[in-house]
Amino acid sequence: MPKRRRAALLPSNIALLQNLIRRDPGSYKEEFLVQYRHYATQKEILATNPSGFHDTEAFLDQIGFIAQVCTCYPSETKEYPEDLADLLKAHHSVLPVELREKIVQSLVLLRNRGIISSERLIQVIFPLLTTTNSKTFRKDIYTTLVRILKNANRNTKAPKLNRTVQTLLFTLLESTDGPAAAPDGLWAAKLARELWRRSIWDDPRTVEIMKQAALHGNTKVAIAGVSFFLGVDREREKAERKKRGLADDDDSSNASSDDENDDKPQIAGIKHRMGINKKTGKRARKLEAAMRSLKKKEKGASLPTQLNFSAIHLLHDPQGFAERLFSQTLSRSSGNKFTLEQRIQILNLVSRLIGVHKLSVLGLYSYLLKYLTPKQRNVTQFMAATAQASHDLVPPDVLSPVIRKIADEFVSDGVAAEVAAAGLNTIREILTRNPLAIEADLLQDLTAYKGSKSKSVMMAARSLIGLYREVAPDMLSRKDRGKIASMEMSAAAAAGEVKKLRFGVENVVEGIPGLELLEKWRKEQGLDKDDEDAVPKDAEDDDDAWDIDVSDSEDSDSGWIDMESDVEYNVSDEEDDADGNTDAGEDLSDDDSDKEQEAEVNQPTKRVKTEDALQTLMATKILTPADFQKLDELRTKAGLDKILHGGKAASATTHEDTVDATSLLGPKSGKADKAERLAAVMEGRQDRQFGPKKGKKDSQPHSTTNKEKARKKNFIMMIHKRDVQGKSKKSLRDKQKVLRAHVERQKKSKKKH
Amino acid sequence: MSKITVAGVRGSVKELLDYSENTKKRNFLETVELQIGLKNYDTQRDKRFSGTVKLPQVPRPNMTICVFGDAHDVDRAKHIGVDAMSVDDLKKLNKNKKLIKKLAKKYNAFIASEVLIKQVPRLLGPQLSKAGKFPTPVSHADDLYGKITEVKSTIKFQLKKVLCLAVAVGNVGMDEDQLVTQIMIASNFLVSLLKKHWQNVGSLVIKSSMGPSFRIY
Repeated sequence: MPKRRRAALLPSNIALLQNLIRRDPGSYKEEFLVQYRHYATQKEILATNPSGFHDTEAFLDQIGFIAQVCTCYPSETKEYPEDLADLLKAHHSVLPVELREKIVQSLVLLRNRGIISSERLIQVIFPLLTTTNSKTFRKDIYTTLVRILKNANRNTKAPKLNRTVQTLLFTLLESTDGPAAAPDGLWAAKLARELWRRSIWDDPRTVEIMKQAALHGNTKVAIAGVSFFLGVDREREKAERKKRGLADDDDSSNASSDDENDDKPQIAGIKHRMGINKKTGKRARKLEAAMRSLKKKEKGASLPTQLNFSAIHLLHDPQGFAERLFSQTLSRSSGNKFTLEQRIQILNLVSRLIGVHKLSVLGLYSYLLKYLTPKQRNVTQFMAATAQASHDLVPPDVLSPVIRKIADEFVSDGVAAEVAAAGLNTIREILTRNPLAIEADLLQDLTAYKGSKSKSVMMAARSLIGLYREVAPDMLSRKDRGKIASMEMSAAAAAGEVKKLRFGVENVVEGIPGLELLEKWRKEQGLDKDDEDAVPKDAEDDDDAWDIDVSDSEDSDSGWIDMESDVEYNVSDEEDDADGNTDAGEDLSDDDSDKEQEAEVNQPTKRVKTEDALQTLMATKILTPADFQKLDELRTKAGLDKILHGGKAASATTHEDTVDATSLLGPKSGKADKAERLAAVMEGRQDRQFGPKKGKKDSQPHSTTNKEKARKKNFIMMIHKRDVQGKSKKSLRDKQKVLRAHVERQKKSKKKH
Repeated sequence: MSKITVAGVRGSVKELLDYSENTKKRNFLETVELQIGLKNYDTQRDKRFSGTVKLPQVPRPNMTICVFGDAHDVDRAKHIGVDAMSVDDLKKLNKNKKLIKKLAKKYNAFIASEVLIKQVPRLLGPQLSKAGKFPTPVSHADDLYGKITEVKSTIKFQLKKVLCLAVAVGNVGMDEDQLVTQIMIASNFLVSLLKKHWQNVGSLVIKSSMGPSFRIY
């Protein structure tokens, strides 16, 4: 009887037993219980003398076996998971490696089967992360943890599990903090960072964990926390982009969703075929699916990722964090636990926090004073931090000593050109964020460097002038103000409202800039009606005014702008001025000629004052897309855009922007060195492919080539062809030639492989 | 709705006023709010805009204002009947976070005299600017009363992390023409702030405090 023979084997053949139990748990219960008792005794032996345990292999099998089948006997194996957990907890340091691994594996298996919860599993293995001495085991646990969390958060977020893990991390960080802080907290920081990078965790609690880490007593943990805030968002973006790229590749296998560009023609094609070919349900479904995927894609593209905010923005109490970070790690009383590089990193974070959240940590500025000398190592980083830490709500009397110090130390006649340029650029960056922090006479001293021989210094000084032309031309010397700014000033003076820079007035848009131009244009076109009865006739009821071409409105800036031929336009940007020899005063000084242009520019500036007239348009008419398009066009035409945005530097920066330390040095003069040239070459080569295209061509899927067809053609059909017959009729010499060539070819191809 | 018309806005305003005056009159002055939903806007990528515009009427007459002033301004404020605090009062807060938060909550807007405003961040920290209530400066030459009405009638559009925002543009005590004007100025200004103008606007809705909402775009 085969069954009895099998039964005789069962005690030793666990794999077979497992298979049988799966099929019929009820009738093999006895056999299972035998195995279970065996396991229990083995476990007892192990527990009494873990280091002297020898029968590892059998025990391994038993553990795996019970884990596999314990869903069949839930009541008998009730204690099994806890047993494993206890075993692991008590003896993980002395257990053989494979046994340890097996136990973790079995626990994961039990969780997958739903016998223990993810929370419990994590509670069991998480403490081992810090207590174990084995590097490989630690790594195993770490990857297991990440995997569990990843799987749990795959479709929907698992807030409960996340919260328990976050609490574990919190307590780990908290418990290791103190005077003798241990680096164990590093694992918490590492785990949180990894999960953040993969967008598995993206909530404020994670950020709080990292905040805790950044304030940790241990240097390593603190730096891990700090670097999280500084770099993780870029990392995450990269990871996301990569993931998206991979997802696209996956999609390309099914025909309906390819690249964006491919989608529409494909749908058009399917539709077309639907019209011509037989109308089957399958084709209709295909079309539907294609449409659906397209819609989904469009929707996905337009949907902004709401939670996708940088860690710095999600901070709960940025002021407290910045203050503590500054006082704990940077200020003199805390001692010099950190190296200079680490201190710079922390400083960078503190200044980012101050800039982004407009905090007031007034001690920082006096702290920075010490480091702002040309001889300081990595001084540009300190300068960048200074610039980042300034915003419009820092009291000017706190910032002005910093600026004074930079001006004294960096911008003087005795220093090298690049030092002066760096100083001027830093001052500019600070002043873009807080223009009140400098006195007029110091500013005028600094702008005098516009005539410097060195290009970088000259450009830095010019950018400073450009900035102040926009924000406060009255602080510049008369010569530096430029035509437009000085005209505006005189117009304002005539109207009796002198615009002065005031502290606390936020630099925000007020009213619609350039609206008066639109109004004027409308009057010229005879579109403006005073009474509202005319409204239905007006453009706003016109469907054309609403359905303007999208692409048209998008790049209206690049469209044609009529230029008046008799007016001289000075289009060259200050920064783009390629030849450094041009006198700085040339395009900066007012040229009093060209009265016509002056009159034209003057008109709108005067109109700005008549606010009521301005508001009538806004109040009586809804501006249509067409109106806005016209408005943009008019604004560009009037050159108002340039006034609005000033120089390049002035427009782009906000208090949230980071300052790049290398950019403070200004453009590099002279030839590029070899490393740079090489880098440029490599960059150019990145997307190009060299080498033979033969193999690549073949590897891509393609239809049969003529050569292949000829090769596979039935020989009987070919036997009378001249090509074949000719071969046997060839002269000996020709035959030899062919043979030699063949041998040669073979050799070559062999060499290659 | 594909487009917005003056007539449409007027109709919605009429209905709104009708509801809050005839159908269900409340015991307080209801505020009319303009709610805006944006689209095609990535708050992370695109710059978060902010802008202020002055409306012809004061949308919320009951707005509470506090003046931080030197002796002269405190006197003037008291004369007008507006709450005022001197430097000493501010110092009494002692940079206490809770007290400052309470102060920021108590008033809708702040005005500070020019001599004092530079000390405000030092005295009060970042709490006020975080709440979007950093004081507006006023000099001795300015008319304080005029300044207060200006502050009251100025509305601020500030995009935060979410793609919707709402501003008070008027109240149900205003007549129809005034409300239409207020709404039009506000919406025109908002649209001008957006990068792609109307293509960024998902919806415009007007609503009184207790009444139903009316979609105008």
